[in-house]
Amino acid sequence: MKTAIEAPANVQSSRNKSMKSTITWYLFLLPTFLGIACFIVYPVFESFRLSFYNSNGTIETWVGFSNYERVLGQSAFWNAVYNTFYIAFFQLLLAIPIGFVLASMINRIHRFKSLFKVLFFLPNVTSIVAAAMIFMFILQPEVGLMNHILDTLGLQTSPWLSDPATSKWGVILLTIWHWIGFVIIICLANLQAISPELYEASEIDGATSLQQWFFITIPNMKGTFAFLLIMGWISGLQRFQEIFVLGGAGGSPSRSLQTMVALIYERGFGGFEFGIASAITVLLFLIILLFTVFNLKLTRLKL
Amino acid sequence: MKIIRLPAVLITACSLLVLSGCLPQEESEGEVVEDSDLTIAMIGGFKLQDTTDPITAQKSKGFYAVKEEFERLHPGVTINFVIMPWSNYVPNTQAMIAGSQADVYQMPGVNDFAAQGLLEPLQPFIDQDDFNLSVYHDNLVEGWMTFGPDDDEIEIYSLPVLGDARFIQYDKELFEQWGVEPLSDYPSVEEVMTKAKQMTGENPVTGEQNYGIYFTGTHDTALALANFMEGFDGEWGTGQRWEDIELNFDSMEMEQALEAMIELSSYMPKSFINGQGNERWLTSSNNIAIAVNQGNGNMKPIYAQGLEERFPVVQSFKNNDGVGSMFSGSPFAIGKTSQNKDLAWEFIKFSSSEYFQRFLWEEWGSTPVIKEAVEWDSIQEMELMIPVLEAMTTAVTPRYPWASSQPRYILQAKAEGALTGTLTVEQALKEAQQESTEWIDSR
Repeated sequence: MKTAIEAPANVQSSRNKSMKSTITWYLFLLPTFLGIACFIVYPVFESFRLSFYNSNGTIETWVGFSNYERVLGQSAFWNAVYNTFYIAFFQLLLAIPIGFVLASMINRIHRFKSLFKVLFFLPNVTSIVAAAMIFMFILQPEVGLMNHILDTLGLQTSPWLSDPATSKWGVILLTIWHWIGFVIIICLANLQAISPELYEASEIDGATSLQQWFFITIPNMKGTFAFLLIMGWISGLQRFQEIFVLGGAGGSPSRSLQTMVALIYERGFGGFEFGIASAITVLLFLIILLFTVFNLKLTRLKL
Repeated sequence: MKIIRLPAVLITACSLLVLSGCLPQEESEGEVVEDSDLTIAMIGGFKLQDTTDPITAQKSKGFYAVKEEFERLHPGVTINFVIMPWSNYVPNTQAMIAGSQADVYQMPGVNDFAAQGLLEPLQPFIDQDDFNLSVYHDNLVEGWMTFGPDDDEIEIYSLPVLGDARFIQYDKELFEQWGVEPLSDYPSVEEVMTKAKQMTGENPVTGEQNYGIYFTGTHDTALALANFMEGFDGEWGTGQRWEDIELNFDSMEMEQALEAMIELSSYMPKSFINGQGNERWLTSSNNIAIAVNQGNGNMKPIYAQGLEERFPVVQSFKNNDGVGSMFSGSPFAIGKTSQNKDLAWEFIKFSSSEYFQRFLWEEWGSTPVIKEAVEWDSIQEMELMIPVLEAMTTAVTPRYPWASSQPRYILQAKAEGALTGTLTVEQALKEAQQESTEWIDSR
């Protein structure tokens, strides 16, 4: 038989105080919760709901999985998926190693370190829309700076954005230029956190600078590389602004630049097909989710 | 006295109530409600306050002047303007109309909105007022006619307010330097191709690289192709509602048009496909002889630089009936949910007045839509506007119903494939036809 034991008055008072404090904190957090509910949870739910309707914004008809069937059966969707992955893959493949090498070089110098950091980081703080407009002129096939430099060096020039075969590489160049400053800054932060004692000990053992870089620096950078890879993939899969400036919603020429988000824009705002656009949005969300889980497993990065 | 008055007042009040209940509802709705608000949604660079144009340095009177004039004509009415930019105007208008935010909407995409049942049919208002539609330039009222959700025939859901047209423009100075005859007023595709070829290469006078022709890629590819096709007397297809539409994207005329564009692409800057290469067009250092599918926006910079003699305007490619190129511009429509439809109709009538049309043209450079504008001194002084006004009356109307939907993007992508050599002409048009038809069928 259990007997109820009443808590002493001072314990009860302490509990009340704790409860009050908790409620107060939740009251302070309430505006944030409301904001999240209105601007994140509701739009996500609404987009998911809309993907099962044929909707032009005002008139909605339930169509079940028909939008998904239509999207998955269209070559334009798979072309957009291919373009998105192609650009993101080569951007990461080139920007992360180049950024790391540059960061290692900046880390070794003693003078003008901050100047180089600022110089490399400047593109990253530039608006991608403005950068894309400038790159349109840099990559202009006849009078653009890039072909002028290639021509001066005796190298073969390219039609860049004017040919579906080379247009994606024009975008890759732009994205590397824009993102590399971020890679350098993140790598530098990790490089400066590696214990100098490791290098001192290896010097005593007779290791060369190259050996130190391969056997001390690179293994200690794993976490940073994993972080850059995951963040790079997520932003790469959401690519839109620079594509829209360079090739419009249709990704001219001949859909060679159309990414998944550009396709969402084209179907949603170019033709009042909000159900189709929402279905592509849900598919994009699933692709990013699955790919991020895969990347987390691959890189063993702990969140 | 009081005893007699009270029953009299009660009887009078009851009689009035009964009488008002018996009155037909249309009559009470037919009256313009005074002491009320009217909201007008407009799109473009218009401003409520006075502004100075950065190109011409000319001052423009703000829309407050229109507000004052309309309120003067309708005492007790308060008019409000909501002005949206051109970017994303479709979703912006959709959001506004879904939220019943305005009574009158400037609506270039009237077809899509009328089909959703969001607009008020205007024919009853026109009949009621015996409104004379012939004040508008020929072709414009017909051009904006469309289907509502329950219509069997096309109906009037909007009336023109801003004019626009597509046309061909050329550089007279380059023609003289190359010793080529100026373009005729109604050039054929063959004439343009021959002359473009003659003027591509090193300019015999200046020694500069010249390009014979230019048309913009990206969003304009499909529209330029459609106009070239009309020049070969072809038709994009038939029908106006999606269920009635049959496309002719793989027709013989479309093939001829795409082949002509491919040939012309060798007389153009390489970067035309993504909208570049015409940076010097309409300037004194221009290097392009002919430009097709041009629009009204060209007029301001030409006159601001004093180049009006150098860049004459001729008509776009026309079919054997003298019709060709995209119908464009903007009309005004009344939202179905407007609480003040009669007053909204009054504003639409006001928008066709000489005052409002002159205001739009003389202060903001918008092409007038009324016939009498041809006689205005301000139009006569700007000679290039005369062929532009003519071009408005010979455009394809009602406008291409596929121009704001998937078939346009499909046709654009396939045409660009052929222009960049990744698809053959036949393959590109066959795929465009097939994909567009599948899209229409699956709607």
